Amino acid sequence: MATNQTAHADEHAHGDHRPSPYNPLRWLFSTNHKDIGTMYLIFAIIAGVIGGAMSGLIRWELAEPGVQIFWGMADAGNLGTDKLFSVQMPDGSHKAIFGNEHGYNVMVTMHGLIMIFFMVMPAMIGGFGNWFVPLMIGAPDMAFPRMNNISFWLLPVAFALATISMLVPGGSMGQGFGGGWTLYAPLSTSQQLHGGPSMDLLILSLHIAGISSILGAINFIVTIFNMRAPGMTLHRMPLFVWSILVTVWLLLLSLPVLAGAITMLLTDRNFGTNFFNAAGGGDPVMYQHLFWFFGHPEVYILILPGFGIVSQIVSTFSKKPVFGYLGMAYAMVSIGVIGFIVWAHHMYTVGMGLELEAYFVAATMIIAVPTGIKIFSWIATMWGGSIDLKVPMLWAIGFIFLFTLGGVTGVVLANSGIDTVLHDTYYVVAHFHYVLSMGAVFAIFAGFYYWLPKMSGLKYSGLLGGLHFWIFFVGVNIIFFPQHFLGLQGMPRRYADYPDGFAYWNYVSSIGYAITAVGALVFFYMLLDMFVLRRRKLETAENASPWGEGATTLEWTLSSPPPFHQFNELPVVAEEKHH
Amino acid sequence: MASHGDVKHDYHLVNPSPWPVVGSLALFVMAIGAVVWMKGLGDSGLLAAKNPVIFFVGLAGVLVTMAGWWGDVIKEGQQGHHTPVVDIHLRYGMILFIASEVMFFVAWFWAYFEMAIFHEARSAWEIAGDPDVMKAWAHWPPPNVETFDPFHLPLINTLILLLSGTTVTWAHHALQQGDRKGAMWGLILTVALGCLFTYVQFAIEYPEAGFAFGNMGDTTTANLYGSTFFMATGFHGAHVIIGTIFLAVCLIRLLAGHFTPQKHFGFEAAAWYWHFVDVVWLFLFAFVYVTPKLAMEG
Amino acid sequence: MKRGWIGSALAQALVYTFAATGIAAAQTETGPVNGAIGLQPAATEVAQDIANFHDLLLWIITAVTLFVLALLLYVMLRFNKGANPTPKKFTHNLTVEVIWTVVPVLILVFISLFSFPLLFKQERIPQAELTIKAIGNTWRWDYSYPDQGVDITSLPLSEEDAKAQNRPFRMAVDEPMYVPAGVNVRMLVTSNDVIHAFSVPSFGIKEDAVPGRINETWFNVPKEGIYYGFCQELCGTLHGFMPIEVRVVSKAEFERWVQSKGGQLASAEPAPAAPAAPTAPAPDATPAPVAPATPG
Ligand code: HEA
Ligand code: HEA
Ligand code: CUA
Ligand SMILES: [Cu+2]
Repeated sequence: MATNQTAHADEHAHGDHRPSPYNPLRWLFSTNHKDIGTMYLIFAIIAGVIGGAMSGLIRWELAEPGVQIFWGMADAGNLGTDKLFSVQMPDGSHKAIFGNEHGYNVMVTMHGLIMIFFMVMPAMIGGFGNWFVPLMIGAPDMAFPRMNNISFWLLPVAFALATISMLVPGGSMGQGFGGGWTLYAPLSTSQQLHGGPSMDLLILSLHIAGISSILGAINFIVTIFNMRAPGMTLHRMPLFVWSILVTVWLLLLSLPVLAGAITMLLTDRNFGTNFFNAAGGGDPVMYQHLFWFFGHPEVYILILPGFGIVSQIVSTFSKKPVFGYLGMAYAMVSIGVIGFIVWAHHMYTVGMGLELEAYFVAATMIIAVPTGIKIFSWIATMWGGSIDLKVPMLWAIGFIFLFTLGGVTGVVLANSGIDTVLHDTYYVVAHFHYVLSMGAVFAIFAGFYYWLPKMSGLKYSGLLGGLHFWIFFVGVNIIFFPQHFLGLQGMPRRYADYPDGFAYWNYVSSIGYAITAVGALVFFYMLLDMFVLRRRKLETAENASPWGEGATTLEWTLSSPPPFHQFNELPVVAEEKHH
Repeated sequence: MASHGDVKHDYHLVNPSPWPVVGSLALFVMAIGAVVWMKGLGDSGLLAAKNPVIFFVGLAGVLVTMAGWWGDVIKEGQQGHHTPVVDIHLRYGMILFIASEVMFFVAWFWAYFEMAIFHEARSAWEIAGDPDVMKAWAHWPPPNVETFDPFHLPLINTLILLLSGTTVTWAHHALQQGDRKGAMWGLILTVALGCLFTYVQFAIEYPEAGFAFGNMGDTTTANLYGSTFFMATGFHGAHVIIGTIFLAVCLIRLLAGHFTPQKHFGFEAAAWYWHFVDVVWLFLFAFVYVTPKLAMEG
Repeated sequence: MKRGWIGSALAQALVYTFAATGIAAAQTETGPVNGAIGLQPAATEVAQDIANFHDLLLWIITAVTLFVLALLLYVMLRFNKGANPTPKKFTHNLTVEVIWTVVPVLILVFISLFSFPLLFKQERIPQAELTIKAIGNTWRWDYSYPDQGVDITSLPLSEEDAKAQNRPFRMAVDEPMYVPAGVNVRMLVTSNDVIHAFSVPSFGIKEDAVPGRINETWFNVPKEGIYYGFCQELCGTLHGFMPIEVRVVSKAEFERWVQSKGGQLASAEPAPAAPAAPTAPAPDATPAPVAPATPG
């Protein structure tokens, strides 16, 4: 959004008391939105590496038919020394490190949960949201700076609980919980299969991650409603702020329902309640309704901030204001609203009856319309612009294309008639990785490359950034495009092993992972180069805005990095020119 | 905000605080403790099953954090950091918190209504080994469940809560009028009514129930009806207790002279929370207590 | 452990055709084919409808995606900072905004015209001549033919057995589910423990096996042969090892099979399925299978 603000850029003039980064209390006790945002971003990167490594194990296991690293139940007794990832026990026998197929299921479950709850959400909402919502609306900090910090610190706690969950007994099948990120009952409540403490730890982990997000949501809503600088009306807010606003509403209204659902899992497991136990009058399918009532809004929680990031970047690097600003904002609002009434498209095969299925088909497909408005408005923003294909713009354009590809397969899945064959196959896996691993992740990298100079005051190598993009772009497409084929051929999800008929494309997919991993290495080398090896500071002339005239939001009026406390005198946002 | 003499806005830039990280750690200990208590994470000692020690250590940490944190908030309020705009923040924050609580109760009502409305679908179900179970569940409430008479204790509790809603409003009006005595009595009555409600519910009504929350060793009385009933009313009861404590703290603060006729948001937040708890109860009364009775008679 | 499979899709397809020679009669096998990129060949009318609908959708979504890609490439070239140094500043154009709202709506309405009839066809269960109940267990499928009094337990072949019999490992089972060709079959699906899902991709069916519930679906396969399916809802450690093998055979052979399993033919003409879900096997069925299912 073009904002023609009249306040003088607030440089170090006001005595910037920036505490030393080596003081641990600065981070532990922080009440500063930028420091907290930084912690969120570092946390997300760590979680991304762990979740990415786990997907590596998944792809390794699936590289060819037969059991590669999650030793099969049949093999358990007689592991030979030639087997990978086995340790020698004191008695001379060999034991598999990752366990059997159950270990694979644990890996898939934790990969999904970590990527969603500990990578994408912390990066987008906690990281970029914390850093840039206050800056973009001209506020000195968040509304509740201390609560902001507990939102962050609850995440390592939740992550620790989830990690411990993998290491303690899960039940008769082995360590950890292997029931998928959806935690479906009765697999998750079965005394026999998952009677151990593992699932209880996971439930509490999600409770705590949920509390973190709800508190964060309250904080953002209050900040955005009440702390906008004079003249910053709702309809002048940058689209990134709009996207966070819609996202946190979804969080606020959907997460408590998940909290309720998993609390019922907890009591079914430990206190003998019968919510999801058919023999006691309960219904396993009810869990799925409760989960997806949260779960579907959740997938938009994962992508809406990405929409916001992409809007800022596309406008900046086209040197042109966003096309159809109001339409863009309200498209997100309507995606959020409709997102609450489509949940059962994940459950077409549970036997819910014709009328309900027909309703959910129609409701689900409607979401393609506001999403299409966004896609075309981005292109219209570029249309007539003066496009500079800098690194963030590459990721943003990659996002638009790959998200579209993932979105249209969602429309295929929305048709219950076809979902009958595609449900729980790799077609679904391909769909959601296109919107997540290419949609959400590309948006995160776009935002990261866009704001990194602002956050650090340093320059990065555009060459390395571009290399990172291209390797990733090729890699993830090789991973996930063939998965459509597998899904159409009927390959089920969450299979540690598969018939030979699925071998070829699985192998290709695993090769794609290797390429992607190289891309990730380039990313980390880029960071090393930027922060340690060369440490090039931004020139004074470009210190406030390295992206030039296209970058019009308030954060580009401040120094890089911005002062520890910005806007001691609130900026005044004047009438916009283009309305 | 010590050295920011040149700050030209009314927002509250809070000083660094130990509570978030302390509270998170305490919650971690509490979560581990809960799992130890329920399942055990080791064979003996502190980590053995049924050992509640770690849980209570964590809980103590959480309570200390709450006291310390909200104590700081009160102090900051006294020091004048709660400017009009910060006051608005607190109001919005409280409203949004209540909104999320409403969605939390949606989950319990969802479970309850699914059974209440779609119970007939269950007649076509099949349970391995026990075809009769499903026949029973095709009725609602199930024939073997003896529900409460809504117009007995539950009605009394409804009246108690409604009355407490009026006393808290009385306290509020008195406070606004500068009538501290009236406010005090209004609050004392509200807290007393809250305690009474809790007593009636947990000490008189619950022990009389003809159904159980879960089959803690006893499979004959446990069923979905009991699970939904106790989950919904139990979580409501927990909220009544929290609200009562909140109001009691406000009573102490009133006596300590914290509230003025113009500024008393702590009290208002407690009152809002109380009204929310009240409204939830009305829904519970209507749908969990009254309609099953009508359904059985009709 | 390494298999030289990276060969080609073609080789795999050949394996399929010849694998069948290991079995009594020459039969076609329908299951996943290595390297294939589309749906499995349709074995039922519904599956054919699904395939047609999928083809239609594939055209539409490909067109949408390529259209977006083309626009992106065009703007990147035409409005590159080299080609267009001074950006325009427009931000509105009512006409195009209306178009890109209305056209997707029309596309979606068009899709619905085909989507709903397909759904109705799948969900409205026609008069069936045979009822089979599939019961999921951790980790195996049980099949029960209530009207014939046949109950079987189906377990996957071990790797050695599969190799010895020249059958596809992880798909072939010791006791397949037998079905007569050209007959409307009603499938009842339920579970004894956790949720499983009964699916045969080439039939176009997938139904969750939910404990407590009995879900229904139907199929009618005109062509004899062997058709493979999978458990398709995560059910624990051996989720990947509870395959489904359906043998579609002639009526005569089906009757022979029923008798060999100790069941009886309900009548000369198979009785129309009772409207209410039959929950127990016929009371007089004598469970004395000639060849008891051997867990392998
Ligand atoms: C970022 C996350 C994200 C996003 C944005 C979406 C977006 C969509 N999803 Fe996806 N989805 C997931 C994440 C996401 N999904 C996940 C994680 C799962 C699996 C969960 C699990 O089981 O583990 C899933 C599963 C899933 C299913 C269930 C499949 C199954 O299990 O059987 C369905 C079915 O309807 C579905 C549909 C859709 C639709 C219609 C959209 C739409 O919003 C897409 C809209 C976008 C477009 C259509 C593209 C742009 C539009 C145009 C260019 C306009 C013109 C287009 C047309 C007219 C077609 N998704
Ligand atoms: C955001 C979500 C997300 C992301 C990014 C990914 C990324 C990847 N996923 Fe995953 N996946 C899921 C969410 C995600 N996945 C979910 C929800 C499931 C379902 C689980 C279930 O069934 O229960 C799943 C399941 C799943 C399966 C199916 C397993 C099965 O059903 O048996 C497979 C198989 O190939 C797979 C592979 C991969 C691979 C190779 C990647 C690669 O793209 C990984 C490469 C690494 C990255 C792209 C991460 C890089 C990011 C960072 C380093 C952080 C950067 C941060 C900042 C800059 C701040 N995933
Ligand atoms: Cu049975 Cu999956
Ligand atoms: Cu969805």
